Amino acid sequence: MVDTVHVRAFARFRELFGDALEVRVKVPATVRSVVQEIARMNPDGAHEILDGEGNLRKSVIVLVNRERIPGNGREDYPVHPGDEIALYPPVAGG
Amino acid sequence: MQRRQKGLSDRDRERYLRQLPLVGEEGQKRLLDASVCIVGAGGLGCPVSLYLAAAGTGYIRIVDCDIVSRSNLNRQVLYGEGDIGKSKAGVAAEKVGTLNPDIVIEPMEVSLSGDNGSTVADGVDIIVDALDNYPARYLLNKIALEKDIPLVHAAVTGYFGQLLTVLPGRSACLRCAVPHPPEITTSPPVIGVTAGIMGCMQAGETLRILLGDEPIARDALMVWDGKAGCWEKICISRDPECPGCGSWRNNG
Repeated sequence: MVDTVHVRAFARFRELFGDALEVRVKVPATVRSVVQEIARMNPDGAHEILDGEGNLRKSVIVLVNRERIPGNGREDYPVHPGDEIALYPPVAGG
Repeated sequence: MQRRQKGLSDRDRERYLRQLPLVGEEGQKRLLDASVCIVGAGGLGCPVSLYLAAAGTGYIRIVDCDIVSRSNLNRQVLYGEGDIGKSKAGVAAEKVGTLNPDIVIEPMEVSLSGDNGSTVADGVDIIVDALDNYPARYLLNKIALEKDIPLVHAAVTGYFGQLLTVLPGRSACLRCAVPHPPEITTSPPVIGVTAGIMGCMQAGETLRILLGDEPIARDALMVWDGKAGCWEKICISRDPECPGCGSWRNNG
């Protein structure tokens, strides 16, 4: 079964992936399956959201339904149909 | 170290005429009695120092060990062709000093390190993080936590910027907000206005704290998207496991 998750991309990710994405993923979905689908849909920007091993880059800030998902296990965080995921890549320069 | 104000002079009343209705005489005296350390005199540090000086912040310490290069000039608006090769902290202090000669500007030509961090932040009311890399930012975050001094952080890349205000023990710290720095291999591109916008936001946040108002970026990363022309607010909580502030007492 496939369902739709709403994705909001901020800053550089908005440039790469668009403002509001509707991502179709197999259920049960996780943060990992959503970001991997985003990378599959946007091969040119995939390396900015995934590292060399195909994992979500550690620096990327993830929110599910506007709640920050911290920690190393966040890729396994469950995402339900209709949930909103937000993704932000922090910036560094000054 | 800093100018101690007994009251506003006629010259002060004239200089700050257009902001006195907003901050009041007591607020203006508070600003004139305040001391701020700006670490980094680059794209962020230039507007921060200009606007804090213009508002009458009584003592401003500008910390940077770099010299001005031509590639700085698209965004570091205190410097011109004639300043290439000169100390950023020195030129910034001189130019900001001409903007407001009634305050004290102290240049400090050092590179922030574990050895000098305490001296760099000694005796100030607020620290402004106008640095350009996360190792130094994390060190400054640590110093701010240890010395119990509010920290106003910003960073920029391209058309995008972020702002976070740290109130030690009472808010999330920089490492709660950004536990893993982005992997940077080369100097990120920056359009000058992005640094200008974020530096002005830092100056505004600093004035807000000095005047006793609630900062807008406490427990929140305020993210500016200059491509879309919009702000996003990402709420951040204190992380009890945070290597920066996890062991800090909780003051609510």
